[in-house]
Amino acid sequence: MSHYRKIAMGCAAALAIGSATHAIAQDVEFMTWTYAESSGEAMIQGMIDSFEGGSVEPQGYAWGEMTRNALLRARTNSLPDVMQVQARLLPTVANIEQMVDLNTVFDREMLEAMFAPGFLAYGEVDGRQMALPWIGGTIGMVANENVLETAGISEIPTTVEEFREALVLIRDTIPNSVPYGLATTNNNSIVLDYLIWVWTHGGDVIVDGEPMVNSAESIAALQFMVDLVAERLAAPEIDRPDARRLFGQEAMGFYFDAPSARRFAIEFSGDEDYAQYVQPMMTPVMAEGDEPVSIQWGHVIAMLNSENADAESAAAQFMLHLLSDDQLLPYTANGGTIPSTASGQADEGFQSDEYRAAWAANSGTPRRNTIASLSNGALVADIIGEEVQAAILGQKSAEEAANDMQARLIEAMANAE
Amino acid sequence: MTDAAQISAGEGRKISPRARRGGLKAGESRFGLLLLLPAVAAFCLVVLKPFIEALALSFYRFTIEMSEPRWTGLDNYRRILTDELMLGSFVTTAIFVSAATFFSIALGLAWAILLNQPFRGRDTLRGLSLLPWVMPAVVASFLWGWIFNSRYGLLNAAALELGMIDFPVAWLSTSAGAMTAVVVTKVWLSIPLFMSFFLAGLASMDREQLEAARVDGAGNFRVIKDHILPHLRPVMLVTVVLGMIGNLQHFDTIWALTGGGPVRATSVLSVEVYRRAFEQWDLGMAATLGVLWLFTIMPPAYFYLRQLMKGAE
Repeated sequence: MSHYRKIAMGCAAALAIGSATHAIAQDVEFMTWTYAESSGEAMIQGMIDSFEGGSVEPQGYAWGEMTRNALLRARTNSLPDVMQVQARLLPTVANIEQMVDLNTVFDREMLEAMFAPGFLAYGEVDGRQMALPWIGGTIGMVANENVLETAGISEIPTTVEEFREALVLIRDTIPNSVPYGLATTNNNSIVLDYLIWVWTHGGDVIVDGEPMVNSAESIAALQFMVDLVAERLAAPEIDRPDARRLFGQEAMGFYFDAPSARRFAIEFSGDEDYAQYVQPMMTPVMAEGDEPVSIQWGHVIAMLNSENADAESAAAQFMLHLLSDDQLLPYTANGGTIPSTASGQADEGFQSDEYRAAWAANSGTPRRNTIASLSNGALVADIIGEEVQAAILGQKSAEEAANDMQARLIEAMANAE
Repeated sequence: MTDAAQISAGEGRKISPRARRGGLKAGESRFGLLLLLPAVAAFCLVVLKPFIEALALSFYRFTIEMSEPRWTGLDNYRRILTDELMLGSFVTTAIFVSAATFFSIALGLAWAILLNQPFRGRDTLRGLSLLPWVMPAVVASFLWGWIFNSRYGLLNAAALELGMIDFPVAWLSTSAGAMTAVVVTKVWLSIPLFMSFFLAGLASMDREQLEAARVDGAGNFRVIKDHILPHLRPVMLVTVVLGMIGNLQHFDTIWALTGGGPVRATSVLSVEVYRRAFEQWDLGMAATLGVLWLFTIMPPAYFYLRQLMKGAE
């Protein structure tokens, strides 16, 4: 056999393998992080198995890898048909050209009737409906009642002063505990805690498009965070996953999380009945009468690729399937989250769930994450995270860190498109 | 013996007895080039094209919210070279590369000398010494991450047990602690490779020379300084350069262990490029940093290639 014939046969074999791989494609590719988590895999698989409108291939990615992979797949034209998106990251993901404006797929009136008031906004970007809301809630504070009882704390603290006293009690009663799981590592986590404490102290991070992180209120909030670490009421090296673990292992009294905190507490305590000790609470306020704050939180589902932009397409039908009561109610009950649909929220089972009712009641005034909606939100989050960390670790005073943060944010926002 | 097998002109080196005077036939040359074509095509596609694209992109502003890149000339370079934090990444990289390369070579050499001695179980120990090398870097990072962890870490547990500290210390939350941790992890991963290089070098050493030195009254230090190190000089040269290149490119353990923090204490160039490209989505700036990063790798890479070419001559 000549050399040329061998090469030709090699090329033919490669082509055949390529064709075979293409032939096993599914009707709907669903990119999701919940499927990649052991606690959510069975639920997502159940939703897929019960879909009768076509075959669905779940594509599980770690939560932190979702946006990155979506943007990389967009460059190679290999995007899935449906994708789960963290609501606060939607403005970033919406930059993908292949995202479908769902106002062109579904009837607007149908959407407005389908979702509970306010929820449809979770999926809006610049007036376009870039995703449908799936589950919702807030980032709020949770308390571990078992830890509080051990520390001799009989009532949930409502003011910052009471909160600090409770933390001291936990520190002095439970050896090697971290009384409060303040996020001190991972810039994306630090930003959430920082935002809540700045709001609580009466300040704001961005006002009318301008950074305001060196106002007296913002510096006071940062000093409050610094003091918590200095007094061992919080600890360095704590990210949300660490807090969840320590909380479930009764080495932590309080931390900020989404409603899914209950699911994590059960997982890390190893006790199926542990949910009874997970108590949603209002974020402590500076003075009685102040409005407690929390951050809007939710998951949305987006459609990609223009060939799916038809209400009868398998992708569109699969999205509606995920939002049907039969699928959504068990899913939200399992995760301790709030369904986005009006019918889901009217369901008797949802309304009688004490935990979720308590979560909703303790959300205070949820605010939008103003950082995430910035076009250069990731850079802004990095700047805030680095400066907060510098203050917490004693590299700078709170005031120095706030001033440096302000200067860096001004430059970053001036350079933004 | 054919004519071709005779001593080649001038240099006294023998050439293959199968070599043909006048070189390959034209058809064979063409087929040789054809065989080379896939490798050249792969190189162009996988290395050259992305590099040229990155080089071009470094002259553009291109962030995620922009549909098209916008020409900004040398602005990205100006921003990097006037930004103290960015320049700090070059310093951090230099610290990491120097420390990781020095300790990898020093400990790799020490371990190789030890394993070059005849003792029972030497072969088993040599085999076990390769374990860190075969372990995936990310797994090793998590292993060391748990050792240094402030809440569950072995280091704190031991220190608390021995009464050396009263409260758990957050080792990875100090600049020095985090840099030490990433260097220790990288050194631990690199020792087997360097040990293998040095063991190969030591295998060709004349034992009688060492014994004669001993008879002349040389101690361990003199033996290492006057005999072993001069013998290993060519190996040392290559390992230093290889070590520097590898550490300049290093990313995975640093990212897994500290994510470049705390603050920016371990934010070496590779981490900075990753954060710019895949967290902040500033592709133009990431490309610029990548180009500058490449220039920092080029001197040792050039030196390494020169050594290789010298060896081949």
